Amino acid sequence: MVAWAKQGHEAAFRELVRRYERPLFSLLYRMVRDRALAEDLAQETFIKVLNGIGSYNPQFKFSSWIFKIANNAAIDHLRKRDLDTLSLDGSPHATTPEEMHATALQLGDRGESPLAELEARELGGAIEQAIARLRPEYRACILLRHVEGFSYEEIAATLELPLGTVKTYIHRARNELRGYLGDRRE
Amino acid sequence: MTDLRLQHLTPDETELWAQGLLPAARELHLASCGECRVVGDRERKLFRELAQLPRFAPEFGFVERIMARVRIPTPSGSHLGPDPDS
Ligand SMILES: [Zn+2]
Repeated sequence: MVAWAKQGHEAAFRELVRRYERPLFSLLYRMVRDRALAEDLAQETFIKVLNGIGSYNPQFKFSSWIFKIANNAAIDHLRKRDLDTLSLDGSPHATTPEEMHATALQLGDRGESPLAELEARELGGAIEQAIARLRPEYRACILLRHVEGFSYEEIAATLELPLGTVKTYIHRARNELRGYLGDRRE
Repeated sequence: MTDLRLQHLTPDETELWAQGLLPAARELHLASCGECRVVGDRERKLFRELAQLPRFAPEFGFVERIMARVRIPTPSGSHLGPDPDS
Protein backbone atom coordinates (compact mmCIF):
# COMPACT_ATOMS: atom_id res chain seq x y z
CA MET A 1 0.00 0.00 0.00
CA VAL A 2 2.74 2.44 1.01
CA ALA A 3 4.84 1.44 -2.00
CA TRP A 4 1.84 2.01 -4.21
CA ALA A 5 1.20 5.41 -2.61
CA LYS A 6 4.87 6.28 -3.11
CA GLN A 7 4.31 5.88 -6.83
CA GLY A 8 1.61 8.50 -6.54
CA HIS A 9 -1.63 6.62 -6.79
CA GLU A 10 -4.43 8.77 -5.47
CA ALA A 11 -6.49 5.71 -4.49
CA ALA A 12 -3.62 4.50 -2.34
CA PHE A 13 -3.42 7.88 -0.60
CA ARG A 14 -7.13 7.72 0.16
CA GLU A 15 -6.84 4.18 1.42
CA LEU A 16 -3.99 5.15 3.77
CA VAL A 17 -6.08 7.98 5.19
CA ARG A 18 -9.08 5.70 5.62
CA ARG A 19 -6.98 3.05 7.30
CA TYR A 20 -5.38 5.40 9.81
CA GLU A 21 -7.94 8.18 10.31
CA ARG A 22 -9.66 6.61 13.33
CA PRO A 23 -6.54 5.36 15.12
CA LEU A 24 -4.73 8.66 14.60
CA PHE A 25 -7.70 10.86 15.41
CA SER A 26 -8.47 8.83 18.56
CA LEU A 27 -4.93 9.20 19.85
CA LEU A 28 -4.88 12.93 19.16
CA TYR A 29 -8.35 13.47 20.60
CA ARG A 30 -7.38 11.77 23.85
CA MET A 31 -4.13 13.71 23.95
CA VAL A 32 -5.66 17.18 23.50
CA ARG A 33 -9.31 16.47 24.51
CA ASP A 34 -10.68 18.87 21.90
CA ARG A 35 -12.37 17.42 18.81
CA ALA A 36 -11.77 20.31 16.42
CA LEU A 37 -8.15 20.65 17.45
CA ALA A 38 -7.56 16.90 17.23
CA GLU A 39 -8.95 16.96 13.71
CA ASP A 40 -6.65 19.85 12.75
CA LEU A 41 -3.66 17.97 14.14
CA ALA A 42 -4.72 14.76 12.38
CA GLN A 43 -5.04 16.67 9.09
CA GLU A 44 -1.61 18.23 9.52
CA THR A 45 -0.18 14.78 10.23
CA PHE A 46 -1.69 13.20 7.13
CA ILE A 47 -0.64 16.08 4.90
CA LYS A 48 2.90 15.89 6.21
CA VAL A 49 2.97 12.11 5.78
CA LEU A 50 1.44 12.04 2.30
CA ASN A 51 3.45 14.95 0.96
CA GLY A 52 6.59 13.39 2.43
CA ILE A 53 5.86 9.81 1.45
CA GLY A 54 8.71 9.87 -1.06
CA SER A 55 11.16 10.15 1.81
CA TYR A 56 9.56 7.36 3.87
CA ASN A 57 12.10 4.76 4.90
CA PRO A 58 10.51 1.28 4.69
CA GLN A 59 12.90 -0.03 7.34
CA PHE A 60 10.77 1.93 9.79
CA LYS A 61 7.25 0.58 10.31
CA PHE A 62 4.74 2.87 8.59
CA SER A 63 2.43 2.89 11.61
CA SER A 64 5.33 3.93 13.83
CA TRP A 65 6.23 6.73 11.43
CA ILE A 66 2.72 8.14 11.19
CA PHE A 67 2.03 7.86 14.93
CA LYS A 68 5.37 9.51 15.66
CA ILE A 69 4.42 12.55 13.59
CA ALA A 70 0.97 12.69 15.22
CA ASN A 71 2.33 12.36 18.74
CA ASN A 72 4.95 15.06 18.13
CA ALA A 73 2.19 17.37 16.91
CA ALA A 74 0.16 16.71 20.06
CA ILE A 75 3.11 17.16 22.42
CA ASP A 76 4.17 20.38 20.65
CA HIS A 77 0.66 21.70 20.98
CA LEU A 78 0.36 20.79 24.66
CA ARG A 79 3.70 22.45 25.43
CA LYS A 80 2.70 25.62 23.62
CA ARG A 81 -0.67 25.65 25.36
CA ASP A 82 0.96 25.25 28.76
CA LEU A 83 3.25 28.19 28.00
CA ASP A 84 0.29 30.31 26.85
CA THR A 85 -1.67 29.35 29.94
CA LEU A 86 1.19 30.33 32.18
CA SER A 87 1.80 33.63 30.44
CA LEU A 88 -1.90 34.48 30.17
CA ASP A 89 -2.97 33.85 33.72
CA GLY A 90 0.50 34.11 35.21
CA SER A 91 -0.45 31.54 37.81
CA PRO A 92 2.67 30.09 39.37
CA HIS A 93 0.50 27.59 41.23
CA ALA A 94 -0.39 25.73 38.02
CA THR A 95 2.54 23.38 38.28
CA THR A 96 1.09 20.02 37.30
CA PRO A 97 -0.19 19.14 33.84
CA GLU A 98 -3.72 18.65 35.18
CA GLU A 99 -3.76 22.06 36.84
CA MET A 100 -2.53 23.62 33.62
CA HIS A 101 -5.08 21.62 31.72
CA ALA A 102 -7.88 22.80 34.02
CA THR A 103 -6.83 26.41 33.53
CA ALA A 104 -6.53 25.94 29.79
CA LEU A 105 -10.02 24.49 29.65
CA GLN A 106 -11.43 27.52 31.45
CA LEU A 107 -9.62 29.84 29.06
CA GLY A 108 -10.87 28.02 26.01
CA ASP A 109 -14.39 27.58 27.38
CA ARG A 110 -16.67 26.78 24.50
CA GLY A 111 -19.81 26.76 26.59
CA GLU A 112 -22.65 24.31 26.09
CA SER A 113 -22.24 23.85 22.33
CA PRO A 114 -23.25 20.54 20.76
CA LEU A 115 -19.55 19.86 20.24
CA ALA A 116 -18.82 20.38 23.93
CA GLU A 117 -21.66 18.03 24.78
CA LEU A 118 -20.29 15.41 22.41
CA GLU A 119 -16.84 15.74 23.97
CA ALA A 120 -18.28 15.39 27.45
CA ARG A 121 -20.14 12.27 26.37
CA GLU A 122 -17.15 10.72 24.62
CA LEU A 123 -14.44 11.59 27.13
CA GLY A 124 -16.45 11.97 30.33
CA GLY A 125 -16.18 8.41 31.65
CA ALA A 126 -14.03 7.56 34.66
CA ILE A 127 -11.36 5.76 32.64
CA GLU A 128 -11.12 8.61 30.10
CA GLN A 129 -10.78 11.17 32.87
CA ALA A 130 -8.14 9.08 34.59
CA ILE A 131 -6.17 8.89 31.31
CA ALA A 132 -6.49 12.66 30.96
CA ARG A 133 -4.77 13.10 34.33
CA LEU A 134 -1.64 11.26 33.16
CA ARG A 135 1.26 13.33 31.95
CA PRO A 136 1.30 13.42 28.13
CA GLU A 137 4.26 11.05 27.75
CA TYR A 138 2.55 8.41 29.91
CA ARG A 139 -0.75 8.99 28.15
CA ALA A 140 0.78 8.38 24.72
CA CYS A 141 2.41 5.14 25.90
CA ILE A 142 -0.80 3.81 27.45
CA LEU A 143 -2.88 4.67 24.40
CA LEU A 144 -0.43 3.11 21.96
CA ARG A 145 -0.21 -0.01 24.11
CA HIS A 146 -3.85 -0.55 25.01
CA VAL A 147 -5.87 1.10 22.25
CA GLU A 148 -3.54 0.44 19.31
CA GLY A 149 -2.04 -2.79 20.64
CA PHE A 150 1.56 -1.72 19.94
CA SER A 151 4.34 -3.84 21.44
CA TYR A 152 6.79 -2.18 23.80
CA GLU A 153 9.38 -2.24 21.02
CA GLU A 154 7.01 -0.51 18.61
CA ILE A 155 6.20 2.15 21.20
CA ALA A 156 9.91 2.72 21.78
CA ALA A 157 10.46 3.17 18.03
CA THR A 158 7.42 5.42 17.68
CA LEU A 159 8.20 7.71 20.60
CA GLU A 160 11.98 7.46 20.13
CA LEU A 161 12.47 6.36 23.72
CA PRO A 162 14.65 3.60 25.14
CA LEU A 163 12.74 0.36 25.71
CA GLY A 164 13.35 0.48 29.46
CA THR A 165 11.87 3.99 29.65
CA VAL A 166 8.74 2.84 27.83
CA LYS A 167 8.28 -0.03 30.29
CA THR A 168 8.79 2.28 33.25
CA TYR A 169 6.33 4.84 31.85
CA ILE A 170 3.69 2.19 31.25
CA HIS A 171 4.05 0.61 34.69
CA ARG A 172 3.91 4.02 36.38
CA ALA A 173 0.97 5.07 34.24
CA ARG A 174 -0.96 1.93 35.18
CA ASN A 175 -0.22 2.51 38.87
CA GLU A 176 -1.51 6.05 38.55
CA LEU A 177 -4.60 4.91 36.67
CA ARG A 178 -5.41 2.32 39.31
CA GLY A 179 -4.99 5.03 41.94
CA TYR A 180 -7.28 7.50 40.14
CA LEU A 181 -9.91 4.86 39.47
CA GLY A 182 -9.68 3.59 43.05
CA ASP A 183 -10.30 7.15 44.32
CA ARG A 184 -13.53 7.27 42.37
CA ARG A 185 -14.78 3.87 43.40
CA GLU A 186 -14.18 4.32 47.10
CA MET B 1 11.28 -24.82 39.43
CA THR B 2 10.58 -24.70 43.17
CA ASP B 3 12.15 -21.23 43.27
CA LEU B 4 9.71 -20.03 40.66
CA ARG B 5 6.79 -21.19 42.78
CA LEU B 6 7.93 -19.00 45.66
CA GLN B 7 8.74 -15.84 43.73
CA HIS B 8 6.12 -13.10 43.50
CA LEU B 9 5.09 -12.12 39.99
CA THR B 10 7.07 -9.32 38.37
CA PRO B 11 5.09 -6.44 36.81
CA ASP B 12 5.76 -8.02 33.39
CA GLU B 13 4.37 -11.34 34.58
CA THR B 14 1.33 -9.65 36.10
CA GLU B 15 0.72 -8.12 32.68
CA LEU B 16 1.05 -11.52 31.01
CA TRP B 17 -1.42 -12.95 33.50
CA ALA B 18 -3.90 -10.14 32.89
CA GLN B 19 -3.70 -11.03 29.20
CA GLY B 20 -4.09 -14.74 29.92
CA LEU B 21 -0.53 -15.44 28.74
CA LEU B 22 1.25 -16.44 31.94
CA PRO B 23 3.16 -19.74 31.70
CA ALA B 24 1.56 -22.56 33.71
CA ALA B 25 4.55 -22.81 36.06
CA ARG B 26 3.93 -19.28 37.26
CA GLU B 27 0.19 -19.84 37.56
CA LEU B 28 1.10 -22.25 40.36
CA HIS B 29 2.55 -19.39 42.37
CA LEU B 30 -0.55 -17.32 41.80
CA ALA B 31 -2.78 -20.13 43.04
CA SER B 32 -1.00 -20.08 46.39
CA CYS B 33 -0.28 -16.34 46.80
CA GLY B 34 -3.11 -14.04 47.86
CA GLU B 35 -0.92 -10.96 47.50
CA CYS B 36 -0.17 -11.59 43.82
CA ARG B 37 -3.81 -12.41 43.15
CA VAL B 38 -4.96 -9.06 44.55
CA VAL B 39 -2.41 -7.20 42.42
CA GLY B 40 -3.28 -9.36 39.42
CA ASP B 41 -7.03 -8.83 39.79
CA ARG B 42 -6.62 -5.06 39.92
CA GLU B 43 -4.37 -5.18 36.86
CA ARG B 44 -6.82 -7.36 34.99
CA LYS B 45 -9.70 -5.03 35.79
CA LEU B 46 -7.73 -2.06 34.47
CA PHE B 47 -6.76 -4.00 31.33
CA ARG B 48 -10.39 -4.78 30.66
CA GLU B 49 -11.39 -1.14 30.96
CA LEU B 50 -8.52 -0.05 28.71
CA ALA B 51 -9.35 -2.73 26.16
CA GLN B 52 -12.89 -1.38 25.89
CA LEU B 53 -11.80 2.13 24.97
CA PRO B 54 -13.45 2.92 21.65
CA ARG B 55 -11.85 4.50 18.63
CA PHE B 56 -13.43 7.77 17.57
CA ALA B 57 -14.09 9.01 14.07
CA PRO B 58 -13.32 12.51 12.78
CA GLU B 59 -16.08 14.59 11.21
CA PHE B 60 -17.60 13.40 7.94
CA GLY B 61 -15.56 14.38 4.88
CA PHE B 62 -12.18 14.10 6.59
CA VAL B 63 -10.56 12.22 3.69
CA GLU B 64 -11.71 14.82 1.17
CA ARG B 65 -10.42 17.69 3.27
CA ILE B 66 -7.01 16.05 3.30
CA MET B 67 -6.96 15.07 -0.36
CA ALA B 68 -7.73 18.69 -1.27
CA ARG B 69 -4.47 19.72 0.38
CA VAL B 70 -2.16 16.92 -0.73
CA ARG B 71 0.16 16.93 -3.74
CA ILE B 72 -0.17 13.65 -5.56
CA PRO B 73 3.06 12.85 -7.34
CA THR B 74 2.84 11.02 -10.65
CA PRO B 75 5.52 8.74 -12.04
CA SER B 76 6.40 11.45 -14.56
CA GLY B 77 7.05 13.89 -11.74
CA SER B 78 4.18 16.28 -12.46
CA HIS B 79 1.54 16.99 -9.81
CA LEU B 80 -2.19 16.46 -9.93
CA GLY B 81 -4.48 18.75 -8.02
CA PRO B 82 -7.51 17.59 -6.15
CA ASP B 83 -10.08 15.52 -8.00
CA PRO B 84 -12.12 18.03 -10.11
CA ASP B 85 -15.29 16.11 -9.26
CA SER B 86 -14.93 16.58 -5.51
ZN1 LIG C 1 3.12 -13.71 45.11
